Amino acid sequence: MGHIKLTNVAKSFGNVDVLHGIDLEIGDGEFVVFVGPSGCGKSTLLRIIAGLEKPTGGELAIDGAVVNNVPAADRGLAMVFQSYALYPHMSVRQNLAFGLENTRMPKPEIRERIAEAARMLEIEPYLDRRPGQLSGGQRQRVAIGRAIVRRPVAFLLDEPLSNLDAELRGSTRAELAALHARLSATMIYVTHDQIEAMTLADRIVVLRAGRIEQVGTPLELYNAPANRFVAGFIGSPHMNFLEGTVETNGPGKTVATLAGGHRLEVPLDNAGIANGAKVTVGVRPHHISIGGEQGLPATIRLVEALGSETVLHADVSGQKVLVVAPGQHDLAPGADVRLSLSAAPLHMFNEKGLRLGHAV
Amino acid sequence: MTIDGSGKTGPRVGEIAMAPVRFAMGLVDAPLRKLQKVAGLGGMATFFLLPNMLIFGIFVLLPFFINFAYSMTGGSALFLSDRSFVGVDQYARLFDCSNYLDPNSCAEDTFWTAVGNTGWFVVLQVTLMIAFSLVTALILNRDLKARSFWRAMFFFPVLLSPVVVGLIWKWILQRQGLLNFGLYGFGFDPYAWLNDRTWSFAAAVAVSIWAHMGFYTLILLAGLQAIPKDLYEAAEMDGTRSMRVFMRITLPLLMPNLLVVIVLVLIRAVQIFDEVYVLTGGGPGTSTLFLTQYIYETGFATQLRNPGLAAAASILMGVVLVVLTLVQLGLGRSSDKNGGRK
Repeated sequence: MGHIKLTNVAKSFGNVDVLHGIDLEIGDGEFVVFVGPSGCGKSTLLRIIAGLEKPTGGELAIDGAVVNNVPAADRGLAMVFQSYALYPHMSVRQNLAFGLENTRMPKPEIRERIAEAARMLEIEPYLDRRPGQLSGGQRQRVAIGRAIVRRPVAFLLDEPLSNLDAELRGSTRAELAALHARLSATMIYVTHDQIEAMTLADRIVVLRAGRIEQVGTPLELYNAPANRFVAGFIGSPHMNFLEGTVETNGPGKTVATLAGGHRLEVPLDNAGIANGAKVTVGVRPHHISIGGEQGLPATIRLVEALGSETVLHADVSGQKVLVVAPGQHDLAPGADVRLSLSAAPLHMFNEKGLRLGHAV
Repeated sequence: MTIDGSGKTGPRVGEIAMAPVRFAMGLVDAPLRKLQKVAGLGGMATFFLLPNMLIFGIFVLLPFFINFAYSMTGGSALFLSDRSFVGVDQYARLFDCSNYLDPNSCAEDTFWTAVGNTGWFVVLQVTLMIAFSLVTALILNRDLKARSFWRAMFFFPVLLSPVVVGLIWKWILQRQGLLNFGLYGFGFDPYAWLNDRTWSFAAAVAVSIWAHMGFYTLILLAGLQAIPKDLYEAAEMDGTRSMRVFMRITLPLLMPNLLVVIVLVLIRAVQIFDEVYVLTGGGPGTSTLFLTQYIYETGFATQLRNPGLAAAASILMGVVLVVLTLVQLGLGRSSDKNGGRK
């Protein structure tokens, strides 16, 4: 069991409100990722669930029981810290055993649990080493092992991959996903890396300034972001935003005029927006293609050839546009091109940044 | 001073400040280059180390060898050239005892009284100093109100001269002192605390702890603050009781700092002199006579001064200090190997 429910959870540090009424339900066995920029409150939210911080308002329930006043140790949760928080003067084995010894568990059972976790995480050869004698990746496994041996109802992971190099981060990410599949335990994972969020999560919770911006599956967030912030945060490179005004607003079709005078048709179901209103059109860099008579006139400013694809930094009437074109392109900075958006899923956001309804 | 629009001081301020430095460097540059041509790079290193080596040699090494030479001579003459060579007689006199635990059975009974007193002082001082400064550091490490104020309060006595410390406490503890004045207010008869053998010894220990505790507290506090907070959070998640957290996490991780403190307290305790000399003068009788005071009085202060005997006693004290320091360093090295922060 690992069902976690937050109702109107708030947190303030002195006069500073860090979390404003968070409502969220996390199902048993679900892998939920909290994502957002630095200072959005994602780590604070995790620490409140862990019991390391007390909420200043609202209610937190685990498996139906309100745990606001239950000490961290009695919530049945285990946490993996960003710094791993391994005891440097103890061997790996002692690190794994420390929490279990607190519960006065019989020694044979402790040995058995350590052996099982060590086998699962392939850290058996290092059991008698100290954390200082391990590599970053090995320490990371030990930190996860320390959580596993406790057999918690849910795992809380606070940016666990942020101290690893890029290559190791990729492989550990895959291992974490496999571990979740094997343990079928609830996992709550905090990160500011949206690739980690997209690849690991059953559901992503996007936070900004202490508020939930959107909750959904990775593809829901990618395909139908609730607002401009989510649209810009999810997806790499981030979505392009082109400022414009609504020219005509018919059923299933809205025409917007961009800053350079170019007209763009967006298949909107019911825009509910007046002609002349300021809007932002969003389009992902991967959905723009180069060429086409009707395309937006653009000047290339920078070319990043990555081999399998080419990232183009272009200027469209003073607005910066990123294009990710598959394959290799013989383009140089200063070249004039046309960018075609005809096949691209377009998003339109109103002045408040909210996404307007779509026809498709 | 020129200040540009951004509020930053302009480059001219730095130029003006650097001008004398540049001038001085210009003066020494040419001769130093010539010297380097003659002496080579290694020679230059020796040249720059020379001032410090000279100071160390003149004020530490030379007195050490002169002291050793004095310890091999006899008589009360001050200059080495006027003194007669007696070999190890002074050492033999110090060790001339039928029972080392009974100073009265020794030829130089005051020396052994001072050794015994110093031994007790060291044991009490090290134990109590570590205990008090550790407890204080643990308290000051918590989220107290006005924490900086309390830290300053505990550190303040360290800034006082030992003579001032001795005088303050003398005025408090003497027969007409503040303590008796206060007790008199509660109806107690005044008591001559510093004329009581036990109380004066206790006062010597307590005053010395009060005077120096702030410094050791600071070292331990720095050690406590260097322990990552998330280790405690991990322990909290694991449901670790606070005593176990202290014994299994705080204490082992504080061990490098604790060892430093133990070495420093130990060395200082063996050398105890100034504040206690002002406070009790070694009395009543010889109850607070410590080794350094014995050496000082034997060498300089008594009517029949005996510099040779004092020199021998100070050589013995030096040997004890070196041995203690080596033992502590050895312990420190093995604790580094077996743990410590990484």
